[in-house]
Amino acid sequence: MTTEHPSDHALAQRLQQLPAQRTPPAAVWEAIAAGIGTSQPADAPSSTVPTPLPVRQRPRWRTPVAWAMAASVAVLAVAMWPRPAQPPGPAPTASVLVRQADAMAGEYRQAIAALPAGQVPAEIRPALHELDTSAAAIRVALGRQPDATFLLDQLRRTYAKRLELTRMAAREATAATAT
Amino acid sequence: MKSVLSVLLLLSVAAPAMAQSTVNERHPLASGGRVELDNLAGEIRVRGTTGNEVTLTGTLGEGQRLEVESSANRVQLRVVYPQRSGHSEGARLELRVPRGALLQAQSVSGQVDIAEVDLSRLQAQTVSGSLVAAGRAQESQLSTVSGSLQARLVTQRLRANTVSGRLSIGEGAGGDLGLESVSGGLSLKAGTLSRLRAQTVSGSQDIAVGALAPGGSIGLETVSGSVSLQLPRDVSAQLRVETFSGDIQSDAGQVQRPEYGPGRSLDARLGGGNGDVTVDSHSGSVRVRRGG
Repeated sequence: MTTEHPSDHALAQRLQQLPAQRTPPAAVWEAIAAGIGTSQPADAPSSTVPTPLPVRQRPRWRTPVAWAMAASVAVLAVAMWPRPAQPPGPAPTASVLVRQADAMAGEYRQAIAALPAGQVPAEIRPALHELDTSAAAIRVALGRQPDATFLLDQLRRTYAKRLELTRMAAREATAATAT
Repeated sequence: MKSVLSVLLLLSVAAPAMAQSTVNERHPLASGGRVELDNLAGEIRVRGTTGNEVTLTGTLGEGQRLEVESSANRVQLRVVYPQRSGHSEGARLELRVPRGALLQAQSVSGQVDIAEVDLSRLQAQTVSGSLVAAGRAQESQLSTVSGSLQARLVTQRLRANTVSGRLSIGEGAGGDLGLESVSGGLSLKAGTLSRLRAQTVSGSQDIAVGALAPGGSIGLETVSGSVSLQLPRDVSAQLRVETFSGDIQSDAGQVQRPEYGPGRSLDARLGGGNGDVTVDSHSGSVRVRRGG
């Protein structure tokens, strides 16, 4: 699960090459002010950031019901993958970090779409949902705080985990059909 | 009629036992050799041994078989499950590993329970099963997806990650620590740290640091999870906290708010200001305490 695939490495290298510069303060405040105008006051509780759904009760591994309910990896991945960032409010220009987030999402979406189709084990499905929900929450946060480099790193980490688990699901599905 | 019922009852009780088979493997391992065990369900129990032999005992469920590859420097053990194993019990195995070995234990839904070991390197992972690791390991890498992860390891380098499982690291861990979670809560009671990086998305962080080595660094990041950080009273570090909408409470320093726009920050010198402690949060609250 923690073994890095060669294509992961290449992808990580490409992502690291993306510029890590910060938006100048003036542009930052313009973007934040635009976001605040249509979203929430600064003191609003954190619950406005979508909270990932709780983990469902774990079904048994490879039960017939689980397999029957499992969806295709490719279909699930592509269908559930977050679309390019939709920050709240009319941001005049997307920040550098938001553009990087878009580029990163596109890279990972392609990487996942390239994986062989298969069934997602029931054990992994809640985690994939959790990761997608979290990625969406990070992108909303990035829309509100477009100079926060740590959020971009959080997004990269979340996407990397999503790719890793999707790859594991595909591998398990392949192994199950081969035995 | 009564005797027929008795026989049927006996058979029904004995059937699961008959479907099981026992495992009793012994393999010599050179000093510093590598041991790998892969069992997707059931239980993996690992204990240390003073000898130079790897042993594996326990039971396999119906239709399961054990694949073994062994050389002087490496022992690989893998339980192969039948394609349709939904109703069969997972294998329950106990592995004994010599001191100084490299251990890699993998499961999917099975529990992994490691204790009383003294390893040069420990790698353990499971998906939905729980993972417990105790003992000593020079370096450790632990991972779950939704299962809880609990470590009471004496280690100088630890990487632990989960998606939604609870991550709990007890005393003994020190040196260089990297902890990651998405929604699972994270708690750490660390010894002396040279470097700590903890990241969660919505999971909370509850961190107590025994000591910070000279020039050491602590970096905590969260999107919406709360952060509680307890530092030693005599810590020497520059403390920086930034949030977008989360609250900040701190024993040291003054929380600053810009005249316009959101955000809170705190920048304070603790002691000589030798190390670095930074906390970045988007909407999660941050609390920093010293001593206690």
